[in-house]
Amino acid sequence: MDAGGNTAAPAPADAEDLEATRLFGEEAGDSGGVQKDPPDPGDRDLEETGSKAKDQLPSLLSSLPQSETPSGTCEPWSPTAPRNSPTGGPENGPGGQGGDPSDEDWRSQRKHVFVLSEAGKPIYSRYGSVEALSATMGVMTALVSFVQSAGDAIRAIYAEDHKLVFLQQGPLLLVAVSRTPQSAAQLRGELLAVHAQIVSTLTRASVARIFAHKQNYDLRRLLAGSERTLDRLLDSVERDPGVLLLGAVRCVPLARPLREALGALLQRCTGPGLALSVLAVGGRLITAAQERTVLTECRLDPADLQLLLDWVGAPAFAAGEAWAPVCLPRFNPDGFFYAYVARLDAMPVCLLLLGTDREAFHAMAACRRLVEDGMRALGAIRALAEVAGLYNVPSANAPAYSVQAVGAPGLRHFLYKPLDIPDHHRQLPQFTSPELEAPYSREEERHRLSDLYHCLHARLHSTSRPLRLIYHVAEKETLLAWVTSKFELYTCLSPLVTKAGAILVVTKLLRWVKKEEDRLFIRYPPKYSTPPATSVDQAPHNGFFTGL
Amino acid sequence: MRKPDVKIVLLGDMNVGKTSLLHRYMERRFQDTVSTVGGAFYLKQWRSYNISIWDTAGREQFHGLGSMYCRGAGAIILTYDVSHLQSLVELEDRFLGLTDTANTDCLFAIVGNKVDLTEDGAAEDQEKEEGSSGGAAGSCVSAKVPKQVKLEDAVALYKKILKYKMLDEKDVPAAEKMCFETSAKTGYNVDHLFETLFDMVVPMILRQRAEGPVQTVDISSYNKQPKPMKSGCCA
Repeated sequence: MDAGGNTAAPAPADAEDLEATRLFGEEAGDSGGVQKDPPDPGDRDLEETGSKAKDQLPSLLSSLPQSETPSGTCEPWSPTAPRNSPTGGPENGPGGQGGDPSDEDWRSQRKHVFVLSEAGKPIYSRYGSVEALSATMGVMTALVSFVQSAGDAIRAIYAEDHKLVFLQQGPLLLVAVSRTPQSAAQLRGELLAVHAQIVSTLTRASVARIFAHKQNYDLRRLLAGSERTLDRLLDSVERDPGVLLLGAVRCVPLARPLREALGALLQRCTGPGLALSVLAVGGRLITAAQERTVLTECRLDPADLQLLLDWVGAPAFAAGEAWAPVCLPRFNPDGFFYAYVARLDAMPVCLLLLGTDREAFHAMAACRRLVEDGMRALGAIRALAEVAGLYNVPSANAPAYSVQAVGAPGLRHFLYKPLDIPDHHRQLPQFTSPELEAPYSREEERHRLSDLYHCLHARLHSTSRPLRLIYHVAEKETLLAWVTSKFELYTCLSPLVTKAGAILVVTKLLRWVKKEEDRLFIRYPPKYSTPPATSVDQAPHNGFFTGL
Repeated sequence: MRKPDVKIVLLGDMNVGKTSLLHRYMERRFQDTVSTVGGAFYLKQWRSYNISIWDTAGREQFHGLGSMYCRGAGAIILTYDVSHLQSLVELEDRFLGLTDTANTDCLFAIVGNKVDLTEDGAAEDQEKEEGSSGGAAGSCVSAKVPKQVKLEDAVALYKKILKYKMLDEKDVPAAEKMCFETSAKTGYNVDHLFETLFDMVVPMILRQRAEGPVQTVDISSYNKQPKPMKSGCCA
């Protein structure tokens, strides 16, 4: 039950990372088994590393094809493989079916994320098929357990332009292998998000119990179908870094009267045991109403809310009314809520009702009908459809605005998170940013911008030397990042802007945000009080599978 | 609001095609579906009746809710994959226990899906499956897989279920009538499955109405007169 507690605490990273590097250096030196290949020819630009590790780490990846076991030995690890075949195809990422570590495509990915069990059994890989990666994952397990045997925990390895970040969460080991400029702390944040995603479908207690019961359990059996959710999560980090960097959710810009009317509507339509009502469109928040006691006692973490927003955006909820258990890892990693999810009036607008009563489906369905009726009375459906881009905005399912709206020439993109919200609003950390437009329409450009934001974020929040303001002239753009007691802001400007011009643009932007804040943010998150669920839900089995 | 008159639940291991079956019946087409999360609720108008259908997730992680989906069910469709023997075994091992909360007179249908994938083909029957692996290899062009589950296996399971439920074979529909082989992909036998079942639950609805409201009190339709009883039941 104490799963995950030990290594999870984000301690000051740098010291331990260096330690890990040293340890790994020793390990590789001692065993010598891993270093078969010459260093990867691509890995030239080194940034910081222990001298020994420098030569050996690229070989972690490159040596694996040689030590790869014949496919026959992989068989016992994949009892579910044949039955996965109908869904297996599309679930494989851009890495394709192969996923052979010797495959150039596979190796040239910017960032790999792996999830494996303590016993070294593969659970998830961002690219390629986990079957082909069993040897790679074996090496990771070896690294982790070697350091562990010395009573320590490996946190990160810096190898030329690659960073390897390890995160142990209970019986699960998560590994990121990245050549993006993201800091180890940021990568760790991503791994935590991946872990939270897994916990949300299984609960931490269940994962711990499964592995306590059977150490070599194949968790993929339980996670089948969740791979795509993990893929989407990791994609969104690359494409839309604001959510994870700022620890906030993004709202659909909406006129305040309409948003408040919708909030009031959610407040009215409640039932026993209801804890949270969310209206969302295209993975973005329209409004969310929370139960009062849940709110004051345990704040809803933005990471949990974002998880729900991603979850309800999944294609599995496209039809019918769904009823499913879901765990909010930050709120309580060991218990389930029960979620009612439905699209309203065949629109992309999605209603999520989260409660504690596992039998409350019909009560929740009645709630939904009330919400639908109320929305029709408000005429909100059409307004939301417009927001959702059904009628005129070409970029559907991305309800957003253009940076042109700010009216500050030279401004290309920004992320803005207000920090000056009164305390009773803070349970809903939010940020805003415009749609990415040219020149950030292609993937490489988006990655570049995402990398730059990550760099600036890492420097602003550096544990050893935090900064308040950074003016950064990059090759193709100029960036200005600024954190005050009132906001955290990242702006991307044209490369030709002068320092004085940049200040002017930022001043203009801040004025615009102030003017628009009622539309951009949920200013007064609605609350309600519901009687507790009639059925006692904290039954001992809650959070466990009865099927196991 | 339309109040469901009877509840039908689809159960079965993951990837046997529960969602596809339902989708084929409701939308008249086959499409690649994604793994179901929890359960999805649909309301189907059949004659003058409202039939609620629960499409459940086959993944073990959602078993906790299985008994909730089955509570008060009038019919349960146990689905397996004809090309995958284990999926039939799972029905008995994992899913039968979930049906304990269903109505006492709950009907059981056992459905072998994906017959389009097997060498026997959709239209073929059982007679020649012994020799089919050899014989069909020549006639089949596309990559077919051997059929792993015979209809008799499903019939045997049906009889086991009756034993489990302590029902007399004479009181329930015959096994032959309740075991189906379907293909959500081609649509083979799908309508037949659902419509046979719907026809069978109608008398249950009528019986329930005659007995008056039981167990549950529905507040939302309290002030609404229930539908005239006899309308549209002249099948």
